[in-house]
Amino acid sequence: MQVGFQGNTKNTVFDPDPRAKLAMLLAVNIIMISGGSAGVELVLRIICAALPFVLLVSVRHYRTAVIYLAAMGAAVFGESCILPHTSGIAGILVLIPCGILTRFMAGYMMCWYTVRSISVSEFVTAMEKMHVPYFITIPMSVMFRYFPTLGEEYHAVSDAMKMRQIGRTVKDPLTYIEYVLVPIMMSTVRIADELSAASLTKGLSAGGRRTHICEIKLTLADLFIIAGSAVMIVLFFVY
Amino acid sequence: MKEKFEVKELINVGVFTALYFVVVFVTCFIGMVPICMVLIPLIIPIVAGIPLMLFFSKIKRFGMFTISGVLFGLIMFLLGSYSWVIILTCVVSAFLADLVLMSGKYSSVKCCVAASSVYSLWGIGTFISLFFGFREEYLNSIVDGYGQEYVDKLASYTPAWMFFVMAAMCLVGGFIGGVLGTKVLNKHFRKAGMA
Amino acid sequence: MIVFDNVSFEYTAVNADGITEYKNGINGLDLTVRDGEFVVLTGSSGCGKTTVTRLINGLIPHYYSGKLEGSVTIDGKSVPDTPIYETAKKVGSVFQDPRSQFFNVNTTDEIAFAAENRCIPPERIKSLIDSTAAEMQLAHLLDRSIFGLSGGEKQLVACAGINVLSPDIIVLDEPSSNLDSGAVEKLKAVLGAWKSQGKTIIIAEHRLYFLRDLADRMLIFENGRVVRELDSAAVSALSYAETDSLGIRPMSLSDIPQCSRLNNRRAEVISFENFCFTYKDGKHGINIPKLELPAGGIVAVIGKNGAGKSTLARNICGLEKKCRGVMTLDGKPLNAKQRLNNCYMIMQDVNHQLFTESVRDEVMLSMTDKTVTDDVKSAKADEILLQLDLARFADTHPMALSGGQKQRTAIASGIASDKSVIIFDEPTSGLDLAHMKQVAAEITKLHEMGKTILIVTHDLEFIMACCDHVLMLEQGSVVRNYPLTAETSGMLKSFFMNA
Repeated sequence: MQVGFQGNTKNTVFDPDPRAKLAMLLAVNIIMISGGSAGVELVLRIICAALPFVLLVSVRHYRTAVIYLAAMGAAVFGESCILPHTSGIAGILVLIPCGILTRFMAGYMMCWYTVRSISVSEFVTAMEKMHVPYFITIPMSVMFRYFPTLGEEYHAVSDAMKMRQIGRTVKDPLTYIEYVLVPIMMSTVRIADELSAASLTKGLSAGGRRTHICEIKLTLADLFIIAGSAVMIVLFFVY
Repeated sequence: MKEKFEVKELINVGVFTALYFVVVFVTCFIGMVPICMVLIPLIIPIVAGIPLMLFFSKIKRFGMFTISGVLFGLIMFLLGSYSWVIILTCVVSAFLADLVLMSGKYSSVKCCVAASSVYSLWGIGTFISLFFGFREEYLNSIVDGYGQEYVDKLASYTPAWMFFVMAAMCLVGGFIGGVLGTKVLNKHFRKAGMA
Repeated sequence: MIVFDNVSFEYTAVNADGITEYKNGINGLDLTVRDGEFVVLTGSSGCGKTTVTRLINGLIPHYYSGKLEGSVTIDGKSVPDTPIYETAKKVGSVFQDPRSQFFNVNTTDEIAFAAENRCIPPERIKSLIDSTAAEMQLAHLLDRSIFGLSGGEKQLVACAGINVLSPDIIVLDEPSSNLDSGAVEKLKAVLGAWKSQGKTIIIAEHRLYFLRDLADRMLIFENGRVVRELDSAAVSALSYAETDSLGIRPMSLSDIPQCSRLNNRRAEVISFENFCFTYKDGKHGINIPKLELPAGGIVAVIGKNGAGKSTLARNICGLEKKCRGVMTLDGKPLNAKQRLNNCYMIMQDVNHQLFTESVRDEVMLSMTDKTVTDDVKSAKADEILLQLDLARFADTHPMALSGGQKQRTAIASGIASDKSVIIFDEPTSGLDLAHMKQVAAEITKLHEMGKTILIVTHDLEFIMACCDHVLMLEQGSVVRNYPLTAETSGMLKSFFMNA
């Protein structure tokens, strides 16, 4: 199950601080989804649309970057050149996909980039540096650690269901859902119990101070990125 | 919050939020079948209500569920690529659900079902931007290009009352999910001595 | 020094009717563990040995609640009155299930975790990790996802996390349960190193042979009390007959006798052709162009970790759709999809394959013939349950049963499904002697019903107790395939002893 941070920054040309990545993500998300397309907003939108492309290239995902650029280009072309010449149903058919693409695709690619370029420990360290309290960071680490376990549990349960032909004999969707969910929920209870016990014996205490071997540092470039993102968001709300 | 949270409580919040998120995410994918699309706000809370009720049975302190809402909002924002409004709706609805749970002293089944219903309102965050906020601006901004007639037509496809229908679907779905979850809890977990 | 003074403990548990009851812990234990001593705790499941480890690391009473009497002290300090994070500085713990003892996804983070919790500066932690990695030879395990590791590698990472802080006392709760014989040897090496550093080690275990040279003292528990205490000379002198009568696993692999059961072998074979399959990572998989196994046999599938045993089992069951292999059973060729209807696997974690609210329903769920009425099904189910000694649990929720009973429930539903090939994946991992023998007896019953049985296992004693054929895999290929007789048992033993 491909959920959760899978930070892999070994082939990276330029790797900003996680906080800088989050700032950019926020800026792109806010501006692309609800921005208009005139004046300052147009400039902001162009910057935000270009950002994911640059970042994808920086992590050497060239193919994804090119596909993104092509799709974005096609959508913008559709919205500005084809749409004015269509009407009725044809217009809707052009408007809806193009509208969705221009609004959501940049944000989606930013999420994709952020999730793939930050590791869980970097993310949690960033949270701690931003003074996010322990009662958020501890469950957050547990959550990311539990996603892959859920994947494993699901595969085991679905194998067992296949072997007993439950998909074929149980037609009622609610019973089917019950059969999938109940064993996973049982494991969840058990794993939470055992994980808590193990963590306690390793000295984890709620609210206790702890250090972190994963070190992140804001460079000048990161500060510039964060400031830039903030300026863009402010500009967007002022205009 | 006089006392600190216990490690076990925080770990429970982590695993159950993860479970809730994955159930929502997977149901969302299955619900992508065109006919079901309209019913997504109803279906998701029904399915997700089942693990949610198990989570509720582990909550004994105010704040735990609000934390879960914060985490869920963040992860929906990061991995679900929704508008940032989702964080807001998740936190607010989790806080309200937490209040409902507290009013039942964390043991009343009725309050758990009600909390499941209230919490499902986070779903508003997924479709609110289709109705409010940018809608007017967006429609106005395209008047020049597409013509007023076209804009009116577009507006008629997304009438404001649809918003309230969808919000109501969330509430009803959460209620049904809560009832189903209670049944599953009684049928499996109490019998097995696990809840 | 760890001192137990007249300690009794009972766990609180809420039963199905919502009534609080007290359950098996320990009873009036007096025990003194000297500094640097290596103590092995053993005995059947539920005998109280795990409770002792939890009293030392403070999980009782800080995490598991119940009725505690008497005093537990470490170097004169009372454990129940010390916060658990203080005790954690002195006592390191390793647990049974590697899946649930890790807090982090990344191995390096996990190794650093305990040190981070003690606020050791990051630079210092990093150098400690480097020296631990060199000492334990696990540099290749650093900076990886725990989800890509084998059970043995996970247990090594858990030990490394302890080694970084080097606490004086280390408690281990059945650490070898999920390990193959190679990984057990590595664990033994780690324990040996710790012992030579003068650490106090308390280990609760069923599998004992690897502790023979390490143990200074062994305590055998029964119903919460110590019934036998042996010093190191007595431990290494224990013969197979003695351990067997004490109800514990053998101290040495070499003198395990073989139960002969090669009487009613059928002449037919099940043949497998073209069983080639590779996982997405392109590295692991199996490559078996041709294989013949005795129909109606009890086949032990052995091999090192990653040799492809589980992959073969999954492919035989038809769980991998991409597998083109054909299995011929009673003259009928079966492809992957058809094999799903003919094979049944009892998984290592049976919790994944129990779905319903009562044991009887669980068995009935496997009867997929729609022409049979529910009454007939129910009668047939009760008959199967009687055979497997489960009749009195027919209306109990499967999850309320003990591990062995759950496994029998899974076996019962396998019988109900009328499938002729039954595969077991590590059925005896973490089982005591009595339960292991019980599983062997169940498998013999299945054999008498005419089922063909394949068992993926690391348990030599178990193979000697019930298998009549051995299939050995290495790097996805079959390297040995022989009937288990008095002559070949030496070959089998040498695999386990030279791991």
